[in-house]
Amino acid sequence: MNKSLLITRPNHDYAVNYLFYWSASIINLARRKNFQTIDLSGKKANRFDFAGRVNKINPSFIFFNGHGNETQITGQKKEILVSTKRNLNLLKNRIIFARSCSSAKKLGPKSVSLGAKTFIGYKEPFIFVSDPRMVAKPLSDNTAALFLKPSNLVATTLIKGHSSSEANTRAKKAFKRNIKKLLTSETKREDASVLRFLFWDMKHQVCLGDPDAVL
Amino acid sequence: MTKKKTVISKVSDAEIRRLVVERLRALPSGKQISIGSQGSFTKDELIKKVKSGDKLGKKMIKVELAFLRALKKGEFFDEQEPSHN
Repeated sequence: MNKSLLITRPNHDYAVNYLFYWSASIINLARRKNFQTIDLSGKKANRFDFAGRVNKINPSFIFFNGHGNETQITGQKKEILVSTKRNLNLLKNRIIFARSCSSAKKLGPKSVSLGAKTFIGYKEPFIFVSDPRMVAKPLSDNTAALFLKPSNLVATTLIKGHSSSEANTRAKKAFKRNIKKLLTSETKREDASVLRFLFWDMKHQVCLGDPDAVL
Repeated sequence: MTKKKTVISKVSDAEIRRLVVERLRALPSGKQISIGSQGSFTKDELIKKVKSGDKLGKKMIKVELAFLRALKKGEFFDEQEPSHN
């Protein structure tokens, strides 16, 4: 299997629009590292295109951005891309990172039992705090950066050739660094109040399957 | 020697809700808290959810208690690396 990335980036609401922008740097990195890169953004993040591209390109790495729950991951306008009952075979032999709520609870373990190499994701809702005044330029939102930079590290670490467990650990360490920074610096009380959510994301990010799997 | 008795009084659900509401008040007013497909909320909206005791309100209580317990255990300052699972 060649080095290739398929990324889904719906943008139909406030939250996924943030993920849309914050995952653009992953596409750039993958291209610089000579990964064949398929970007299913906006309307293209639908089940038909997803299944078609996975079958055609056979990507080694799938990075989902979007909504989800314990049993499904969705694309544009919450169309189900993969669920415990549908399309799960498409994840076989691949490394998966799902930045979507709770999918590591049931869908993740099931995908691994059906042959996915690793599934990195969140066992509970992925929560982030943002500043709505920055909605037109999410990448300049320093509050959202506290959450999305650590999370991005999962993908960048994998693309740079490190193992799945290393990708998971580096991201968790970055969450922890942000927590420590907010706890120990002279941060305004209101800025420090996002700590509870950083801890939540760090605690519930998991790596299932083969920890040594690399791209 | 007389043994000292430690009395651990139980905290009621209503007290926990009040604690969480007070702590949520510290969130900045101008920010959005995005909680996956459940939507994006202001702190006042989250406070209402906690007070009403709906599903999202209960989740917020879980988030808060998990953080307070970790703080009590000193989890943020131990040198142990976060586990990969």
